[in-house]
Amino acid sequence: MNVVLEGIGLVKRFGPAVALGGVGLAVRGGEAVAIMGPSGSGKSTLLHCLAGIMKPDEGEVRLLDRRIDTMGERERSALRRTRFGFVFQFGQLLPELPADENVALPLMLGDVSRADAVRRAREWFAPLGLAGMEERRPGELSGGQAQRVAIARALVTRPAVIFADEPTGALDQATGQETMRLLVEATKHNGASLVVVTHDPEVARWCDRVVEVRDGRVLPDPRGTAPAVATVPAAPAAAGPGGWDRETGAGR
Amino acid sequence: MGNLIGLAWRLLRGGGRRGLLGAGLTAAAVAISTALLLFTVAVNFAFQGRADREAWRNPVAAADGAVAVESVRTDHVRGQRITVVNLTALKPGVPAPPGLTRFPAPGEVWFSPALAELAGSLPAGQLADRFPGRRAGTVEEGTLVHPGELLVVRGQTPDSPELTVRAPGYADRDRGVGPVRISSFAGRHTDEAVGYQILGVVASVLMVVPLLVFGGAAARLTVARRDQRLAALRLVGATPGQVVTMTVAEAVITAFCGALLGLVLYGVCSPLLTGIEVAGGSWFLADLWPGAPAVAGVLVAVPLLVGLSAVAGLRRVVVSPLGVARRETPPAMRFIRVVALLAALATVPVVGGMGAGVGIFALSLGLAFGAVNLAGPWVVGRIGRIVARTARGPARLLAGRRLIDDPRSAWRTVSGVAMIGFIAGFIGLLVPDSGLFGSPDAAVLRVSAPPARLSEVAGQARERLSAAGVPATVRMTGGSEGKLKVVAVTPRAHDAATLDRARTALTGLVPGGVATTAADDQRASNRMLGDIRTGVVAVLAVCFLVAIASAGITAASSVLDRRQTYALLRLAGTPLSVLNAARRSETLIPLTVMGGGTIAAGMFCALPFVYAALNTTGLTVLLTCVVLGFAGVVGAGAASAPLLRSVTADPAPRPD
Repeated sequence: MNVVLEGIGLVKRFGPAVALGGVGLAVRGGEAVAIMGPSGSGKSTLLHCLAGIMKPDEGEVRLLDRRIDTMGERERSALRRTRFGFVFQFGQLLPELPADENVALPLMLGDVSRADAVRRAREWFAPLGLAGMEERRPGELSGGQAQRVAIARALVTRPAVIFADEPTGALDQATGQETMRLLVEATKHNGASLVVVTHDPEVARWCDRVVEVRDGRVLPDPRGTAPAVATVPAAPAAAGPGGWDRETGAGR
Repeated sequence: MGNLIGLAWRLLRGGGRRGLLGAGLTAAAVAISTALLLFTVAVNFAFQGRADREAWRNPVAAADGAVAVESVRTDHVRGQRITVVNLTALKPGVPAPPGLTRFPAPGEVWFSPALAELAGSLPAGQLADRFPGRRAGTVEEGTLVHPGELLVVRGQTPDSPELTVRAPGYADRDRGVGPVRISSFAGRHTDEAVGYQILGVVASVLMVVPLLVFGGAAARLTVARRDQRLAALRLVGATPGQVVTMTVAEAVITAFCGALLGLVLYGVCSPLLTGIEVAGGSWFLADLWPGAPAVAGVLVAVPLLVGLSAVAGLRRVVVSPLGVARRETPPAMRFIRVVALLAALATVPVVGGMGAGVGIFALSLGLAFGAVNLAGPWVVGRIGRIVARTARGPARLLAGRRLIDDPRSAWRTVSGVAMIGFIAGFIGLLVPDSGLFGSPDAAVLRVSAPPARLSEVAGQARERLSAAGVPATVRMTGGSEGKLKVVAVTPRAHDAATLDRARTALTGLVPGGVATTAADDQRASNRMLGDIRTGVVAVLAVCFLVAIASAGITAASSVLDRRQTYALLRLAGTPLSVLNAARRSETLIPLTVMGGGTIAAGMFCALPFVYAALNTTGLTVLLTCVVLGFAGVVGAGAASAPLLRSVTADPAPRPD
């Protein structure tokens, strides 16, 4: 697979503290990469730089051969909206909006008509096990359900890369595992790449590859490429939510 | 209890920079609110004080035991009013009138300081000659109606025409009162003074509600942060009572500091406020001190109200520890709020039509005003449903959902300005047009005279004017004052000096009569109209200041409360322009609907007093308010845009 997203020689300082000391990372199409490391190791900063949320002080970030670290805020904003999806630990759903409108929001921001956006958003509910919850507000969903809505929202624009920062951090182990499985399967099924920041090896096990970050540097991987537990074949990017079932994890 | 208050105090102090900033903003807002509230209260005491000081010049006839005779008339110089009081004692040992060291002996004149100064600066033929006699002393400044008042007290003999003849044309207070046999200098409030007192009460009622709303908004400033913290306390087992105690303690401590600050602020500003001219003069500093009990009342009431507002904001936490942590669909607001508004509105014309007392009317007006505030959130919620249903783009959808989610908070942002709609609607119908009386003639001096003596008086007028060297035309006319005839004098030159020379020459021409122009006669009424317009501008200016500050505070606190949501939206690529557009819609849509509604409600409340259609002045007031209101709210929202940019720039969203 070709490289979709690449960070080269990334350096980021916060005052005297060096958060990233020359980090390189390449993510291939359809690949799930876990970035692991203890608190303060620089893993979240790396994710923020790769996702165009932060500008690195040095180095470059490329998405399909386009440099994104030199783009202006407006352009990076548009890029995050159209080419990237995000799943966080908590709080990414708007409490005022019902679940379906939360998922439809990125589409509406991209000028899709409201009716169309909501229709397309609702297609994600059944495959993610959320049927019947379209009109519930985030406060009326369990933690796992809310994360699944967030996954739907991240995927609804059919992005190239999904970034997830401790996506299971607020969930119990069983729910966390189930959420990770859905995240990895749904991402891969849609042909997107996944970058997960976590300190939990159980979460990392779902990914194809693990990158260890310590003190702002990537550790050399003693095992080469980490074995991935989840082996979901990447599907063509055209496959819609209706062609994939969460129970079997396979296209019908 | 002591423990809890201690804990609240530690939480307040230990709230970090952001917490202290919130508490500081709350205290500042409460301070402004308190200072303005003190001013509102003081205005009523000030008018009362003026009325009391003026009362002795509005004598009440003694049933028996008269000790003196008093007459009052009004003269004019350089377009200013001079109050002339004539006194004579009926027996020895009559107490001194207010401001004099003793009762004036016949032939004595006592000038107020300003009149003494003016009489010294103008040629005697223009002013001083009108009040011949021995200058026995100066009327004490503090007993005057206002600083710079022109007053002369003349001691007369009991047989003086000023105290024996009821002068022609003494129909109204503008021209004079008496002579009246009095037993004391108690007197009673003049109609004019009572009129100003009523205006003061109406202005206070109109200002108090926005000020309270402002105080409430200030209390909510930090309530979201408190919500989270106190919900956590509930989770670890604090009882609702303990949570309420801590909330009240924290809010009241902050508000009390703010209220004290407000008192200082008011103290510092009051010398400036004394310069505001109402009813022809500025104020004594003492007028603007509402007195210790009223100040204590404000200092207790404001923190109490802020505490109540904070408790209302925390009701959901107290009911459920998860009430804040988990956002659920809020229960729909009851229609009873609207019913309450309609009921309150219905009472206003009834009370107004009955001619009930000022107090009762003010109460019903205040109730209607308050009910608008009650119905506001309900209407905002309704508007939210419509906006959310019909929204096509993300900004309007976000705005609509937000209005449904928290109509109270959305209402708070616009309520101040929407309430001004009520005031503007009320005032717009009532404010007198500047051209109500046309422009009265200021060139012709008129003296009323009994018909039998008309020619004689006209002849004397010619002689006096000629002696004084004032070339003038003297005519006898029918006049407009019943059977009285009028001698009209038109000086050839129209300057103020010539006019004042003519006035001086004509003094005492008809016993008790004063030569006045039509402009002089209307001066008091015109001045009251002018003061009403000044009052309107002052009330609206204060309300706008408060409302826009309140909109700004609410907008800023709403950004802070939702910073995590905004940060995540921005992080996921939502342009700031969409977020700002949503925030704008969130305020402008309810403002448009509610502003229109409150203007209509205000006009409805003014209906019992309206005798003419909306005039140009009223329309100007209304339109200015609408433009300022929208501009103010948009500006207040825009002012928090940099705050939105900075809170959303934080790339690592974390819970507080």
